[in-house]
Amino acid sequence: MRLALLLLALALPASAQPLKPWAGGATPALELTDAEGKLHRLADYRGRAVLVNFWATWCVPCREEMPSMERLRGALQGKPFVVLAVNVGEGARAARAFGEKTGLGFPLLLDPDTKTTRAWNARVLPASFVVGPDGRIRYSYFGAIDWARDDVRVAIENLLR
Amino acid sequence: MDRRAFLKSSIAASAAASLPWRTGLASSDWRTFEVVTRVELQLPEGVSRVWLPLPLSLDTGWHRSLGNGWSGNAARTDVLSDGKYGASMLYAEWPANVATPHLELASRFSTRDRSVDPGKPRPDAGRLSPAERAFFTAPTEYIPTDGIVRKTAQGIVKGARNDVDKARAIYEWVVENTFRDPKVRGCGWGDIRAMLETGNLGGKCGDLNALFVGLARAAGVAARDVYGLRVAASEHGYRSLGVGTPSVTRAQHCRAEFFAEGRGWVPVDPADVRKVALEEPPGKLALNDPKVAAARKRLFGSWEMNWLAYNMGHDIALPNSKGPKLPYLMYPNGESGDERLDQLDPDAFKYTMTARELKA
Repeated sequence: MRLALLLLALALPASAQPLKPWAGGATPALELTDAEGKLHRLADYRGRAVLVNFWATWCVPCREEMPSMERLRGALQGKPFVVLAVNVGEGARAARAFGEKTGLGFPLLLDPDTKTTRAWNARVLPASFVVGPDGRIRYSYFGAIDWARDDVRVAIENLLR
Repeated sequence: MDRRAFLKSSIAASAAASLPWRTGLASSDWRTFEVVTRVELQLPEGVSRVWLPLPLSLDTGWHRSLGNGWSGNAARTDVLSDGKYGASMLYAEWPANVATPHLELASRFSTRDRSVDPGKPRPDAGRLSPAERAFFTAPTEYIPTDGIVRKTAQGIVKGARNDVDKARAIYEWVVENTFRDPKVRGCGWGDIRAMLETGNLGGKCGDLNALFVGLARAAGVAARDVYGLRVAASEHGYRSLGVGTPSVTRAQHCRAEFFAEGRGWVPVDPADVRKVALEEPPGKLALNDPKVAAARKRLFGSWEMNWLAYNMGHDIALPNSKGPKLPYLMYPNGESGDERLDQLDPDAFKYTMTARELKA
């Protein structure tokens, strides 16, 4: 498993673009159940930084970046930080199978009708948003990124200060 | 109301009894496809930019976008819109020091065949507001509605009592008087004034369906082109109206719609009637050939949805480009060193497109 994660990490793009400071509007609502049936409301995570990632099993770069999200989660263990990965347009079975196969420890939320995805304007996957403890979007990133990169981790840690 | 809102409300009006999302996808008449566009710029000079059209972002009763995924080595990517028609595109940019800019876009979408009987009122047809009607009868740079266009339109619709009759007369006129010219590059740019002034009414979908739209608008009938891509073989027995291989790099195709009170948006495709006439075996069929006659009847009011819809935009100014406007956005576009790449030459550009149907 570790070798597979490493290979996937190496497959991430070499470009080291930073997270893009958010200049868009208000944070859209997010209220979805995960592949296990548990309801998640973004509002319930107030006080924590949240990485909201939109993905699909058929999206290769989405799959490639997810292990780095797991490493980021590990690096920030004990700090108020969570990852919510929103599956776009697929079913619980597909998301659950992917989660079991890759050993991801964060919830895989389901957006079968893609209404939430549209509300977040995540038209091209992967699309990610970093929400600050105050509930406002602080950064966005369209495309795959190495979430375990130092500058990315530091940017998120700074939100927690 | 802004232009995008116009389109949104207009499309909503055409979405006949839209099914709930999962129910719709699960029902047998919806099909799901994936189109993958791969771009690898050859010998880039300076900053390179690429614009790839994205599937129609608004759901209809005949087309739904399921998502897009991209990968590549672009330094910057964004989802952008032309701002007037809501034609959305994936924008990618590379700095001068990238030797091989490359980008891959996978788009998934579902479609189902579309049919509207222009002779029967529909309770869910919706209405166009005066502002929407003005928008969809307005001229564009390549589709003027004055001069010879107006004069021709007035002659064609003389005696027609309503929008359906006018559109029908224009449809029949286009089918009778134009021809598909296989020598035209790409789909043709739809310079309809030049077509009418020169009397050369040959072209492809970008010309012939633009002629329908321009004549309709000049006659006061709201109409629009819809730009897209064929993605599968025809299941109605027309070899010329589909693609038989996974490669769809050169399968771009545009269609047309008109709006009629009590009917909503009605799909038409006179250009495909002329394609059937030219290309169905043994070739060069007469208009009274049964196969052509059947297509002519079918294509006034229906579209087979082995086709991806991109947008309904005209005179597209590519964001972040100093280059000229495009008559429409249906092909991958690119620039290297501020020089526009030839969108109609995928081998030199270079780009490839493949399509496959996804079956449960």
